[in-house]
Amino acid sequence: MLAARLTAGDDHALAEVFDRFGPVVFGAAVGIVGDGSNAQDVVQDVFVELWRHPDRFDPDIGSLRTYLMVLARNRAMDAMRSELRRIARQQRHYRLNTGEAPRSPGEEVLSADVASTVRAAIKSLPDSQRRVIELAYFEGMTCREVALAAGIPEGTAKSRLRLALAKLEAVLDRQLLESS
Amino acid sequence: MTATERALPAGLRARVLDASRQARAAGRVVPEIPQITALDAFGRAAEALYQTLGALADDDWRRPALRDLDVQGLVGHLTGVESDLQRAMSGDPEVGAAEHVQSTQAAADRQAGRLPAQTLSEWHEAVRRTLTLVATVGLQDVIVLHGVPLPLHAWLVARAFELWTHENDIRRACGLGASVPDAPTLAQMTQLAASLLPVVLSQAAPGQRTSLHLVLTGTGGGTWDIEAGDTGLPGQGQVSIVTDTVGFCRLVANRARAADLDLYVTGDQSTAYGILAAAAALALD
Repeated sequence: MLAARLTAGDDHALAEVFDRFGPVVFGAAVGIVGDGSNAQDVVQDVFVELWRHPDRFDPDIGSLRTYLMVLARNRAMDAMRSELRRIARQQRHYRLNTGEAPRSPGEEVLSADVASTVRAAIKSLPDSQRRVIELAYFEGMTCREVALAAGIPEGTAKSRLRLALAKLEAVLDRQLLESS
Repeated sequence: MTATERALPAGLRARVLDASRQARAAGRVVPEIPQITALDAFGRAAEALYQTLGALADDDWRRPALRDLDVQGLVGHLTGVESDLQRAMSGDPEVGAAEHVQSTQAAADRQAGRLPAQTLSEWHEAVRRTLTLVATVGLQDVIVLHGVPLPLHAWLVARAFELWTHENDIRRACGLGASVPDAPTLAQMTQLAASLLPVVLSQAAPGQRTSLHLVLTGTGGGTWDIEAGDTGLPGQGQVSIVTDTVGFCRLVANRARAADLDLYVTGDQSTAYGILAAAAALALD
């Protein structure tokens, strides 16, 4: 019924959905991006998406709660990826202009909301994968530079990065599942 | 609050709801339904009835359909309504005050003893004449027919409503499954019904200020916020009614009761059921 009401443009239904699921969506978002404005942005994105495209929710596939949690996870992961890209850009820019990386780049550039979550997730990676992630994202290196610094072929660096990112995603995903 | 939940920061609810309403206005249905004209809606309803009638066996035309009319008599009634609408469009004041059933009874009675094909042909020709005449009258011109003054475009949708209703009277009489108008036609019908609801609200709660939040779910539905009564009148608070679009249309056509609908009502229950009863009384039959 709620889904049909959303499709019919019933904004009272949207308020009901928010009151019912807003706290759990917020909890899930906090589990990934930390407790702050990023989590609030994720919550807003989730409910705006539901309101704009209620027909994308299929009750035959799963509950509305599950659908919202999947949306929250995807939005939060997008926010994390965006943050990592921003860090890498900033590091490259810094190295090009000063010739060296800042002393604690991760600490300096990661927003307070996501720093601890990302740090904990990266810490859980195997050493070889953690190293390439740190070089690529916190030192702002290209794949070729990562390969040189780590003393491995470029192809190996690429595949380790891919694996590391996939594991990072899985770790962050697990945090969401555990929090829900 | 369970372990999975977190208390929401102050202001987040309002921020999310505001952002949502900016992304999509309240009341806007998704996916959007293609717009058609009132004339299209009438033409489509007439075509649907024509198809149903064309598939009937001769014996079916003798089946009891509505009041004391068999299928053939009911089609005759519709021919009579077309004739009255044409007279109204031509400015004949007599049909303005005439009663819907009484005024068309002669056309219904005239069908006795005729071949079904003759009845069908006569009705179809009457529809064609209506379509021709509409082109000569302004769609915003108010036409008074059977005691009801409405702009012509609204009359055309009302006629689509009537054709669909009687098509289903006939289908039921002949043991056929119910038909549902296509989405754009249904949307026109629900828009018309919603536009008449302020009158319904005033009838359901006379002397009171009433506000109705109506949600019609499914194809052709939508959401409407309707107010009735002067601001100085005592308020009833808000009544919210959520129900299926087709079921609501059947209720407005006086072919379903509130008890037959899958209803979700909040607010004052007696006012809500009063509104539904008054909505059913809109039907001319």
